[in-house]
Amino acid sequence: MLKYVVKRLLQAIPVLIGLSIVVFLLMRVFSADPAPVVLGEHATREAMDAWRDAYGLNDPIWKQYIDFLWGALQGNLGESYYTHASVTDELMARFPATVELALVAITIASLVGITLGVFAAVNKNTAIDGVSMVLSLIGVSMPIFWLGVLLIILFAGILHVLPSGGRIDPLMQPRGGTGLFLIDTLAKGDTKAFVDALRHIILPAAALSMYSMAIITRMTRSSMLDTLNEDYVRTARAKGLRKRVVTTHHALRNAMLPVSTVIGLQLGSLLGGAMLTETVFAWPGIGKYIVECILKSDFPVVQGAVLLIGVIFVTINLIVDLIYVWLDPRIKYSKEEG
Amino acid sequence: MESIKAQISRRNFIKAMGIASAASIFALAGCTTEPEKKEPEPKEDTQPTENEPETEPAIAETITFAQGAEPRGLDPAYVDDGESAQVMVQIYENLLQYDDESCNVVPGLCDIPEISDDGLTYTFKVKEGIKFHDGTDFNAEAAKAHIERQLEPNRTEDMAYASFTWGSEETGDGIESIEAPDATTLIIKLRAASTAFLANVAMCMASPIVAPSAFDSAMEKPVGTGQYKFVSWTKSDNIILERNEDYWNPEKAGKSKNIVFRFIAEAAPRVTALTNGEVDIINGIDEAVVNTVTDGGCKLFQMAGMNINYMAFNTTSENFKDVAARKAVAKAINVPELVSSLYGEYAEYANSVMPLWMAPYCKDIKQTEFDPEAAKKELADLGIKELKCITYTNPRPYNGKGGQALAEAIQGYLSEVGVDLKIDSYDWTTYRTKVETEAYDMCFYGWNGDNGDPDNFMNLFADPNVSMNVARFSDDDYKALIRKGLQTPAGEERDEIYRQCEEYVAERQVWLPISHSVNLLGYRPEVSGFNFHPTAVTFLYNCVKTV
Amino acid sequence: MANTTDATITSNNKEQQVAKKSESLWSDMWYALRQNRPAMISLGVICLLAIIAIVTTIWPEVLPYNPYKQNMPQSFQPPSAEHWFGTDQQGRDLFSRVLIGTRISLTVGFSAVAISLSVGVTLGAIAGYKGGKFDTIIMRCMDIMLSVPSILLAIAFMAALGRGIDKAIIAIGLVSIPEYARIVRSQVLAVKANDYVAAARVIGDGNLRIIFRHILPNVLPSIIVRATLGISSAILDAAALGFLGLGVQPPEAEWGDMLGRGRNYIFSAPYAMLFPGLAITITVLAFNLLGDGIRDALDPKARKR
Repeated sequence: MLKYVVKRLLQAIPVLIGLSIVVFLLMRVFSADPAPVVLGEHATREAMDAWRDAYGLNDPIWKQYIDFLWGALQGNLGESYYTHASVTDELMARFPATVELALVAITIASLVGITLGVFAAVNKNTAIDGVSMVLSLIGVSMPIFWLGVLLIILFAGILHVLPSGGRIDPLMQPRGGTGLFLIDTLAKGDTKAFVDALRHIILPAAALSMYSMAIITRMTRSSMLDTLNEDYVRTARAKGLRKRVVTTHHALRNAMLPVSTVIGLQLGSLLGGAMLTETVFAWPGIGKYIVECILKSDFPVVQGAVLLIGVIFVTINLIVDLIYVWLDPRIKYSKEEG
Repeated sequence: MESIKAQISRRNFIKAMGIASAASIFALAGCTTEPEKKEPEPKEDTQPTENEPETEPAIAETITFAQGAEPRGLDPAYVDDGESAQVMVQIYENLLQYDDESCNVVPGLCDIPEISDDGLTYTFKVKEGIKFHDGTDFNAEAAKAHIERQLEPNRTEDMAYASFTWGSEETGDGIESIEAPDATTLIIKLRAASTAFLANVAMCMASPIVAPSAFDSAMEKPVGTGQYKFVSWTKSDNIILERNEDYWNPEKAGKSKNIVFRFIAEAAPRVTALTNGEVDIINGIDEAVVNTVTDGGCKLFQMAGMNINYMAFNTTSENFKDVAARKAVAKAINVPELVSSLYGEYAEYANSVMPLWMAPYCKDIKQTEFDPEAAKKELADLGIKELKCITYTNPRPYNGKGGQALAEAIQGYLSEVGVDLKIDSYDWTTYRTKVETEAYDMCFYGWNGDNGDPDNFMNLFADPNVSMNVARFSDDDYKALIRKGLQTPAGEERDEIYRQCEEYVAERQVWLPISHSVNLLGYRPEVSGFNFHPTAVTFLYNCVKTV
Repeated sequence: MANTTDATITSNNKEQQVAKKSESLWSDMWYALRQNRPAMISLGVICLLAIIAIVTTIWPEVLPYNPYKQNMPQSFQPPSAEHWFGTDQQGRDLFSRVLIGTRISLTVGFSAVAISLSVGVTLGAIAGYKGGKFDTIIMRCMDIMLSVPSILLAIAFMAALGRGIDKAIIAIGLVSIPEYARIVRSQVLAVKANDYVAAARVIGDGNLRIIFRHILPNVLPSIIVRATLGISSAILDAAALGFLGLGVQPPEAEWGDMLGRGRNYIFSAPYAMLFPGLAITITVLAFNLLGDGIRDALDPKARKR
């Protein structure tokens, strides 16, 4: 097992280095020269040269890359062209918001998705099955940002039951702590603030969870159908165990294996959806920030953010794989991917 | 008729809220006319005057104000945007200030100064016993330091308002020297007499007094003498202020304990936040959401704006060096139609740079007539097939629809005359740097008056700073006219100078003036006491929300 | 967004597929597909969309209005007999714009998939067939691309390349290459291990011949499923780019872009946002249903369910 873990960790390193090269090339080589973008086309040649010097852009490209990588390894991702703030600080300030949103979204997606999937499988080919399959299909077919706006119109604009954007009432905002407001407010025993944070997160998390929920529902259903057909489940039924017991104790437990993998992988893909959801709900996280910075060509920020997300993504996938291996002894550690 | 009625109801409204006196005093420097303020017909509510209970109703601790963009910063020496001003006016105070409803200058941290007969020496009496939020003393020395850092040679490139407010050697105007012989006396000597100087001292840019202890940090952590103290700024989300309990003037002390500013870029979500009770007052409303505000049980405040929404031709670009090309493009665009369909009844067609209520002498100024046939021919003759413009995405006080919608409408008109318009759009903060740097043919911009003086508008064509003068218009005759205007005392002669200025830029088609928009605020029915000023900032010290 | 599940599900069925002869596979599949009512309806919808896209392109006069023609006095007319979907800010007919937008969405969907399909299949086949160093290098590159969410990568590409529909196609096409490469590689590995490939090699068939004659036909079904679903995610990604303002240049009519600008008028003109959103959802749903249908049709195990 340990050997496998080490092997996977070693495999992740070239991937991340590769990603840093791709992002670096995209931002520094294929993009337009940032000097006129930031200083303007009327800037003098000297001013642009001075600016490039200040940002190390006159160095040979390989040196720039090494500097970037070396900085990144030390946790220094450079500074924003526009605000001159440290990219690491800016990203870290927004990171908890995105984590919180993704965690709540994946919880919703898993709870609802597994329930729907199990019901659909147990009641195969009935109306329940049909409805949950249609729902999950619509879930993967709707643009997440459209859904988000529809939710805002309904719950904030018409029904006035939930807030339309933001993370928490600014005056209730907990200072310090984990940065996850739901946890921080609970830790301080501030129920009012907790409820307020919860009310703010419901709509964006629901919108964000929709796609993953659909995937989880479908995966649960098909996995449940597979296990329900397995011999041991039939045997259990034949032995006269109640259908419910068989479903929950025997089939569900085994069906969860592939489902848990999917949940893990979805947690990573939520980061992609978060960019759109955060933009729609004015959620002050990394996704919204990346979009803003891309729109104004603030390349150091984009570069740093993509790398950060890559690290998270790879880490999540690694953990998911390891859990999978740990849960299912049938899988050999040398298992090839794909 | 309607306007008179509306003004009266506005007065009642103010009286009920306990603002000093309802009868406003006209004349003095600056505005001679008051903008028209009105509230829409109240649906079912009664004027708050009538049913005011005897006991004070409980008031909420916090007033939340939502605006479309984040301030660029909070040091008045460096910023130039309305979003910053909106926050700064709660924190800082000026030596002089405007009265509540117009741009008439009244005492602030100083009394009205004595002016020497030649109009060059101003002697200010600084009030005593006032402290900045950080406990340091406000005195003549502090005021001097604040102004001095904006004068040459201390002045830096990024002090957007400095040359306009305090003048420069090159143009031979503004402050020549500033002295503080003792703690309560401030003596300012000007290079040339200026009718607008007092109004400039009361302006919400450049002039508000920053504590010298905070000169290096006020962009992020402002320190002033005003009714509210800065608490925190969560980037791209909110700014929190709290009441200054040691405020010097009990008559104008802050009523609510906290003021929170939130930044919500799009109009529709901002309105949703209002009707949903998440925020108490919002600005930047346009015609598309007016009904949503009122249908959502909230109220609308409106007042004719002291602003201009325009498209500037880059007079230094290859395509538009020549006035004929600028005129040809102007002929292609049906501005009245554009204004009425884009802004409905909440903006009026601009025949001149200054709104007519502010400068009635501009009523005969004419802009280029819409004539697509001629435009098509002239543009073809000039060989103009493709143009490039830059624009902003956020709604602005003078353009509730945002620059993107406006640019695309212009694109539509130009495509009818065979010209392709390429549009590059940026968020407002980025856009501000882009207008200084990008090589565009046209750009979209606007101006909200800061002091009610015509020079404040017309100087935009003479300003050496390209972020003000986005048309990059440079004309010595025009600059001479502007200088003359500044030195002429208010009156018919001065009006005539500014009428000539208007004519001068209209003939040369430096801009395509588009509209003067009505300022709109949406607010919750429980909220009262805010004071919307013609300079498009809302003072919140008197604002309360009943619970 | 990665459709990992699809890959897992298809790979379960490879043995059955491999054993079949291709002709009977296609006719069986078609027969099975015809039993699947949602899939057939979707196929109909897709044909209709394709017809709309083609007709509006070669014969735009068929549209009730010129979709680019500005008519300011007519701005934001609610849906009516004249303007079925209402008009937008500039008074342009939204029905015409939604219809002409079909072309862009389908073009993006098909072209992006064509890019990722051709590159992905080639890379996957080489990696799987050649093995060794080729395999390692290619698959590590694919891992790199899979190490960030595809939409983020697409946005980064757009940021570097600039706005425009052609660039959107390239960006979206590039980011989904790895999915195809992975599927093809694993299928090739499975097929390669089969007796008949070994037999072909014994008879002396060349590499290309083996790939084209024996391997690709067997890989094709799962690729078709993936491509059909890929079109739907390409359309969604394109809409997301448009929504963020990174898609098309105005005055081009793209659904995501229309939706993005309708967002400011959700209360005064909800139709400006409703119809483009519905158009996206229906199109994507149709491709998803069809993809599901094809998968079930190709998979006897699923069919039995």
